[in-house]
Amino acid sequence: MRTDTVIIGGGLSGLTCGIALAKRGQRVTIVASGQSTLLFNGGSMDLLGYIDGQAVKAPLDVIAQLPIDHPYRKIGTERIADLADQAKQLLEDAGIMTEGSANANHWRVTPMGVAKPAWLTLKSHVCIDDIEQLPCKRVALMCVRGFFDQPNGMLANGLQQMGFNVEKKEFTTDEITTLRRSPSEMRAVSLSKRLVSNSSLKRVADQINALAADADMMLLPSVLGDEEAFDTLQSMTVKPLRLVATLPPSMAGIRMQKQLQHYFRMLGGNYLMGDSAVSAVIDGDRVVSVTTAKLGDMPLRANNFVLASGSFISRGLTADYERIYEPVMDLDVDADANRDNWTQFGVLNPQAYSRYGVKTDDSLHCIKQGKTISNLHAIGSVLSGHDPIKMADGTGVSLLTALAAAQDILAK
Amino acid sequence: MADQMQLCNISANNFEQCTKCSICTTVCPVAAVTTDYPGPKQAGPDGERYRLKDPAFYDKALKLCLNCKRCEVACPSGVHIADIIQRARMSAGEGKRASLRDTLLANTDLLGTAANLVAPVANATLGLKPTKLVMHSVMSIHKHRTFPAYSRTKFETWYKRHAAKQQDAYSRHVSYFHGCYVNYNFPKLGQDLVKLMNAAGYGVHLLDKEQCCGVALIANGLYKQARRQARVNAANIRQAVSARHHTVLTTSSSCTFNLRDEYPAILDIDTSDVRDNIMLATRFIYNLVDEEKIKLIFKQDYKRRIAYHTACHMQRMGWQIYSIELLRMIPGLDLVELDQECCGISGTYGFKKENYERSQAIGSTLFKLIEDAHVEAVATDCETCKWQIEMSTGLPVENPVSILADALDVEATRRANMISD
Repeated sequence: MRTDTVIIGGGLSGLTCGIALAKRGQRVTIVASGQSTLLFNGGSMDLLGYIDGQAVKAPLDVIAQLPIDHPYRKIGTERIADLADQAKQLLEDAGIMTEGSANANHWRVTPMGVAKPAWLTLKSHVCIDDIEQLPCKRVALMCVRGFFDQPNGMLANGLQQMGFNVEKKEFTTDEITTLRRSPSEMRAVSLSKRLVSNSSLKRVADQINALAADADMMLLPSVLGDEEAFDTLQSMTVKPLRLVATLPPSMAGIRMQKQLQHYFRMLGGNYLMGDSAVSAVIDGDRVVSVTTAKLGDMPLRANNFVLASGSFISRGLTADYERIYEPVMDLDVDADANRDNWTQFGVLNPQAYSRYGVKTDDSLHCIKQGKTISNLHAIGSVLSGHDPIKMADGTGVSLLTALAAAQDILAK
Repeated sequence: MADQMQLCNISANNFEQCTKCSICTTVCPVAAVTTDYPGPKQAGPDGERYRLKDPAFYDKALKLCLNCKRCEVACPSGVHIADIIQRARMSAGEGKRASLRDTLLANTDLLGTAANLVAPVANATLGLKPTKLVMHSVMSIHKHRTFPAYSRTKFETWYKRHAAKQQDAYSRHVSYFHGCYVNYNFPKLGQDLVKLMNAAGYGVHLLDKEQCCGVALIANGLYKQARRQARVNAANIRQAVSARHHTVLTTSSSCTFNLRDEYPAILDIDTSDVRDNIMLATRFIYNLVDEEKIKLIFKQDYKRRIAYHTACHMQRMGWQIYSIELLRMIPGLDLVELDQECCGISGTYGFKKENYERSQAIGSTLFKLIEDAHVEAVATDCETCKWQIEMSTGLPVENPVSILADALDVEATRRANMISD
């Protein structure tokens, strides 16, 4: 089977790259080995949140200070600024409406009540432009009774520490109460399926309106299935309403994944969910084909290939007791040969392994046994040189390297 | 260090690989509509930990699982969640008798043979209101369901009378596992396959003996019978593959998945030696076209707008791409690929009175997608999806093989493949 481009990995970077290519008329096949870590995303994208532990105010201003092997340095500040605008537009084209700009970070609120710098946040979700000057004072935190995935106490304390005056309120409705029969499923996804009809949303609105008192803003856990449900609910509430991220799997991420996948499919892309690349044929400096577990003896052929297979959690990288490697093509990786250096004591301390990934040249081409592969780009979390936890650059690297690789492929 | 460590997964169904990420719970169509089902993570790997300690921890709610396998498709860690659930159901149900209703529903070939003999009577009777009410109350088969119409002539009979002789004239050959639906309900699909393959220069042959693949038997807990039939099928497929060097083609995604993957995973019948030789006809044909071994020429005046629905087991096999890409080759066909949602029928599941409402609730997302697509027909590789979508949307549903056969310019295709008459 032949298409113009084959992308290994169907998460944020794979889909973004696939969409950018399909929009320009390419036939693209994406191989996705199950759902991606986008499902853990709480509704915000970060571009660059921290350098040396300090929060970054204007990401574009500090890209030049990043280590030379960071993917952004390879792309360059000017191009990053341009790609960042394109990324926001691409999300919007897929129906994902966000606030924010690469010129200045805003603050998102984590489910644990911590404010973190962010680049783009879903319009329905809480987003604070300036943490020193809060947009309002009094917040009513609407907690769903029996809901699993929101540590209400921690969230309320966190908001309080940011300077909000928080009132914690608890509510439920008939639909929500029914859900409690299965305590293990009292989660965001299950709630979202029950809060679809206007009448079920009206019952939520009635409950939270009655509890709103003199709040300036109501916060509700992100348990709505789509923007339509949010708009409907918002139109019924007496105070401004914003959603706040829950523990994963989160509705915001599920929605984004669905919207991107749908958009890619509408553009004629092939999305092979639940299949995985197992090996590739490389001839000289080119990948010829990729074999997948399910297509078996009928490999995927293409002019260009993109590796968007994610980091350790998505199995784009594998660690065994001897080494760290890239499992599909055994590409060169930036990783310490000495196992003792992979981690350091204290899970919250900076960890070397989170910066490991495949080695690339300045155009994000992969390298195998020291030789550049001319038709294989790596994008997203599988890349080395960045740190989604300590630098808050994960989603930015996914989106921007995806678009950079797509530009490169289209320019050929 | 490595020599003292367990480096590989040693448990069944990749059970140890579960990282508790909960992604499977986000795609389960059953948990989405009922609180009675604990969801795939709890029913599968989490529950298994308890059941391994003591089988008494088995939860009866596991019978609500559709076995749609969407959890397995979504799992980023390759855990065979649905197989864990099926295995648990099997251990809990082994030795117990299935109800008369379940036995009848499961024996699609027995029911089919009887019904073929009296097809006009059976079709008329099964469609009558009083019959439906009796089935609803006595048999617990929901009154809104209509049994697929039975054909007067079995596919096998048609084949022997009208097709068998001509097949040896071709230089290349395949075998065909037609399945119960083609044999008893809808021989046209089998005829369409013969038409398509003949035009491409392939003779089509039946297996020496074919029995129902047993997918419905497994779903209804009739494991012994399923194993018996699976052994017969495995032996006859093996005969076609090893003695005649045939690839065995199919036109039903569920039969295919069952023959290839459920036989070893659920029934412990090893078919690994022939697994690669069992495939959906669309995969086989796509590959021939892709490798330029055959040409398909389509009618100039064929014009339709059709939506493609990926059946759950089709998605589990990952083969929808072949059906979709083949349909895209038809110049006059405007194809809309639907987002992957379960239709809710899951074989015999939706026929049962107690499951009817849940089945329709599950399918509602898909029905809405179909409605919004503004198409004149739906294409899918699964016959039970067909019944469900036809009943619930009123649109005709066709197998891609039938669409290809309808759109095919047979004469031009025969000429292009240099087949003489």
